Amino acid sequence: MIELYHIWKQYQKPDWALKDITLTVNQGDFCFVTGPSGSGKTTLMKIIFRQIFPTHGQIIVDGRNILRVSDHKIYRLRRTMGIVFQDFRLLFHKRVFDNVAVVLQVVGFPRKEVRRRVFNSLRMVNLNHKMWEYPSHLSYGEQQRVAIARAVVNNPKIILADEPTGNLDTELALEIMSLFTEINKKGATVIICTHDRELIRHFGQKIFFLYKGKLLREETV
Amino acid sequence: MILQKLQHFQRETLNNLWQFRARNVFSITIICLSFLIVGIFVSLSNNLRYTAQQISKDMVVVFFLEKNMDASDRAVIEQELNNSSLVSRIQFISSEQALQNFLNKFPELEGIVENLETNPFPSSLEVTLKEKDFSYEETQPFLDKIKQISGIEDVQFNKDWVEKMQSLSRLARAVGFFLGGILILASFFIVSNVIKLNVFARKDEIEILRLVGGTNTFIRIPFLAEGIILGALGGILSLLLLFIVIKLFPVYLGSSLGVLNELISFRYLSFSQSTAIISSGAIIGFFGSMSSLAKFLKT
Repeated sequence: MIELYHIWKQYQKPDWALKDITLTVNQGDFCFVTGPSGSGKTTLMKIIFRQIFPTHGQIIVDGRNILRVSDHKIYRLRRTMGIVFQDFRLLFHKRVFDNVAVVLQVVGFPRKEVRRRVFNSLRMVNLNHKMWEYPSHLSYGEQQRVAIARAVVNNPKIILADEPTGNLDTELALEIMSLFTEINKKGATVIICTHDRELIRHFGQKIFFLYKGKLLREETV
Repeated sequence: MILQKLQHFQRETLNNLWQFRARNVFSITIICLSFLIVGIFVSLSNNLRYTAQQISKDMVVVFFLEKNMDASDRAVIEQELNNSSLVSRIQFISSEQALQNFLNKFPELEGIVENLETNPFPSSLEVTLKEKDFSYEETQPFLDKIKQISGIEDVQFNKDWVEKMQSLSRLARAVGFFLGGILILASFFIVSNVIKLNVFARKDEIEILRLVGGTNTFIRIPFLAEGIILGALGGILSLLLLFIVIKLFPVYLGSSLGVLNELISFRYLSFSQSTAIISSGAIIGFFGSMSSLAKFLKT
């Protein structure tokens, strides 16, 4: 499903953010990418959905080398992915509903269907009662849940989540993880970046350990 | 699906215009002021051209005829004048009529005229030149040619006045091209940069839309529509302000400047000039949005 071959990434000389990462994530896997801050987790995520390009290496997603996909066709790849960004990336001038709906609107879903799916998605993260609020009126944790609802609303084949439970209390974090597990059971591949060992212990099936940009080891539970 | 997207674009454009109203009002104000300056200039230049046209409209050349000229000789001259493309109208003034005109203009001199034994005024042909085709370089050879015809005693034509009017007209045109060009260029940069700033302020939104799978077209359309609307609204508003300026300026100025009032007053923009200002706003808005979006739609 997702294959990374000898990925190197350098933002600024002489430091390397990623060093020779080679890994494979199969369809339906539920994986964690873990490591201390600055180990390259977010960079790895950004490379997988091609927000940034690696300095060297190749990435195959669903049988396609995504580095060869032209800029104006990259939306096709991104529509198959649900992404939870570390900084949420919400549209603060739009209501919660519109923030989630935008993923369906870019595809051109009918309004009724958009409403139905957005409502279900927000109900999953327990935020359906705040559908018409602006993100700035929500707590940090609630904003994070909006980002999660947006990532799952389109039933994507791949979910990439960068620290999705970083600002949530343990109970809610477990709930969110259960939600990802549910989506995974329906066939989606889930990759989560976190340094929360407790979560990894509870839900980890496949774990990639990064340290200073290098893949130290890979564990399958 | 296309209908859904069209509805989305329409909603999105209107929402964004309302959502970012403070920034949009600022943009419209800047666009409006830029176009107002262009509009005022065009209006003044219209007036100058109009005044010049009005003066050259009555460009009359008087051909004084020899005494006792018979009708057939006069017909020859009239025929020659009619053949010229410069002539708009010919009017024959008999010596009696010329005397009468003189008395009408200067009734106080009636006593002197009565003492004269003969009528001193010769008959003449008053020739009005076409204002559009008027040029001194063309007119002079024509006059010289007519002068050669026998039966014409003298020609009265205010050469200096014509030359002055021509210089003024040429100056107005040169200043018009120069200042107008600079103003239009400056307003183009101002308007396109205001639109660019508008787009720039929303670069995060553009990036997010791209990251959730939005195509470039999907992202672009509402921005382009907003650019067009802001540009056109700025243009329309500048015309309304110009209308107010034109209405109020004569009131402010009063009649203290006498004949100069005519020269420095404003003239309404023609329909094509107004349309040009509004469509320039829309076009600059479109290209301003387009060029600034290009930077953010690459990866």
